[in-house]
Amino acid sequence: MRLSLTYQGIPIWRHSRVLGWTAQIVSGIVVVAAVAFFIANLANAIDERDIPFGWSFLNREYSTPISEHLLPYQESDTFAYAFLVAAINTLMVSIVGVILATLLGIVVGAVQLSGNWVISRVATVYVEVFRNVPLLVQLFFWYILLLGLPRVSEGFVWLDSFYLSNSGLSLPAPRAQEMAVPWLLAVVVLIAISIGVRAWLARREERTGKPSYPLLGGVVVVVVGAIVAWFALGGEPFAISVPHPEGRFGRIVDGATLSTELTALLMGLIMYTAAFIAEIVRGGLQSVSKGQTEASRSLGLGTMETLRYITFPQALRVIVPPLISQYLNLTKNSSLALAIGYADLTSVAKTMTQTAPAVTIFLIIMLIYLSYSLTYSLIGNLYNRYIQFTGG
Amino acid sequence: MDGQWNRARGLSFALALAFAALLGVGCATTGEPATVAPPTEDAAETEAAQAAPSPTESSRLNTVRERGRLVCASLNDTPGFGYLDDNGRNVGFDIDLCRAVAAAVLGDADAVDIRLITAAERGPVMQSGEVDLLVYVTTWTTSRDTSWGNFVQTMFYDGQGFMVPVSSGVTSAYELAGAAVCVNTGTTTELNMADFFRQNRMEYNPKTFEESQVAFEAYKSGACEVYTSDRSALTALRSSLENPEEHIILPETISEEPLGPMVPHGDEQWFDIVKAVMGILIYAEAYGIHSGNVDEVAVGDNVKAKRLLGTEGSFGQDELGLDQTVGQTVIKLVGNYGEIYDRNLGPETAIDLPRKGSRNALWANAPCSDCPKGGQIYSQPLR
Repeated sequence: MRLSLTYQGIPIWRHSRVLGWTAQIVSGIVVVAAVAFFIANLANAIDERDIPFGWSFLNREYSTPISEHLLPYQESDTFAYAFLVAAINTLMVSIVGVILATLLGIVVGAVQLSGNWVISRVATVYVEVFRNVPLLVQLFFWYILLLGLPRVSEGFVWLDSFYLSNSGLSLPAPRAQEMAVPWLLAVVVLIAISIGVRAWLARREERTGKPSYPLLGGVVVVVVGAIVAWFALGGEPFAISVPHPEGRFGRIVDGATLSTELTALLMGLIMYTAAFIAEIVRGGLQSVSKGQTEASRSLGLGTMETLRYITFPQALRVIVPPLISQYLNLTKNSSLALAIGYADLTSVAKTMTQTAPAVTIFLIIMLIYLSYSLTYSLIGNLYNRYIQFTGG
Repeated sequence: MDGQWNRARGLSFALALAFAALLGVGCATTGEPATVAPPTEDAAETEAAQAAPSPTESSRLNTVRERGRLVCASLNDTPGFGYLDDNGRNVGFDIDLCRAVAAAVLGDADAVDIRLITAAERGPVMQSGEVDLLVYVTTWTTSRDTSWGNFVQTMFYDGQGFMVPVSSGVTSAYELAGAAVCVNTGTTTELNMADFFRQNRMEYNPKTFEESQVAFEAYKSGACEVYTSDRSALTALRSSLENPEEHIILPETISEEPLGPMVPHGDEQWFDIVKAVMGILIYAEAYGIHSGNVDEVAVGDNVKAKRLLGTEGSFGQDELGLDQTVGQTVIKLVGNYGEIYDRNLGPETAIDLPRKGSRNALWANAPCSDCPKGGQIYSQPLR
């Protein structure tokens, strides 16, 4: 009566390595087949229906205006350059939107946990309203709201240099002159020098024990140097461009203008995304165990110090990954700009489809959006790794 | 740890298998027509039949008849051409052209599915062939004709103009330098405007919108001083304003805009059918046939009118795959060109675009007695 305990071996259909490899191979085949199917389908459609396709249009003149552009743009520029102009417009919206939405989101998220009942309720109402109304509706809301401002001929004027109307806000802005580039180069060199000066002063302070004000020393080097360079270069690097009304319609020209369309787009994107970010921040802060706060308080740290040095750094690990998704969402949502007349990438591309092959144009804008998203993801993931390893 | 890994792998394996099975089924279904017939004596014949299906089998006419509905891409935001009436129905000049084609092909003017799209979507929608017809105040241009589909026939002659508030004091389009202009994207309007301002070396600030309502809203609020579109659309939009007399349409017409229906590339028969239907609408007016007198004229003594109505001779109904009496059906259900015009754009509507003396009157020596003549509405004779 002996129990046979000889090892039978794992049957092949339950062997982890076999299962693993089979899953890999099968899913690989499925992915490749699906991609191949769609590409073949596209190629087929292009062929069968004579859908125009090609890249030669990129060197042609676009000859259509773009209403707002950060880069200089003329109608005689090429399609390729117009793509760049539009892509930069979108990038600007994305970066400004991400920064402001993050700031607002962090504040609202932290305030939601505040002991002040009124303030925390207000924050909660904000979050619930803005994340539960479709973004497109919000964009129309902001745009129609801003259109309610007086028209440009009856707009608000302040000091003859600030103009506010339903066409936008115009304010004085520096305009680069001939000497701008040399001056900026000089400033860069000065900053490099000031870093050295600061380090030297800091070492001196350490060595001698006498207060040497390293930071102040560095700043003084830059400021004094910049002022000297400004006058020494002969010709001012920057002039102030003051906006003023011009022509029979009294349109505001010169200066810097924040248009109604861009303002409405940014407000919509920021308010919407910040509501989501606030929830992420709140969740992150609440994920830090209460013992941490209590320990911090018993060590004598104040509320703000606890938040800054104890809670937030730990919450950051939970916050960062979902935060990156919100940045991607904001960037992609900026394509709704067309609805309210801002010349973003999608808007310009859609106009282009009238005079150039649509399939190619959409491939290009897909690639541009994809590259933005991947860049955000890359930066976000690197930052995430950094805080994971060093956050203690 | 290990156990978890195994379970996870097992799960992904199962999922992958399920996907593969799904894909397999998909391939099997889509792949079926391509499978080779078994080698029997008829194999050669079967293969030949499969290789060359008779042209009518896959034609759009048959597709539409099988579906029982005509899919027509159009609009609902331009008074007169395509808009919603008080009962919420899609009506308008362009919608009526869709209805005429549905009447001709299906015998039912209401068998139309209006696919509402934006102006910028017109090209992709036509290129993919997902609609049977596009009637969308679409300007006939050579590049659209080559890349979108086939333009059928000019049914309305238009031209682009500018609207400004009277208070701006502007009386000519050449005084628009420095203005902000609201415009709808994806239209020739946008391109013509660019040409006009560039040609005349005038600076301007274009504001481009996806939806014409939002663009017009921006104009109404004064965010732009100028709204530009086809003159007909401007007239229609102006009539929708609270105080139309506070806005004027500037006298300059900066472009030629022949508007008409369009069919996808690749089906000659379908192209010919729509051309014939447009011809029926135009010649019916010229011969004095309208929805009220179809039956009388059908038995009357006007030979050309009787040919149109199918009671004598033929204008090629068989080759087009249409009923002999298709003319009667269309005119009874939709009316002739003049009726369609009057119903949507005529003096009894708020738009009131005068037809007499415009290019949208019938040609100078049209045979009718009391119809507007001296214009350019003309088509291929029906015979």
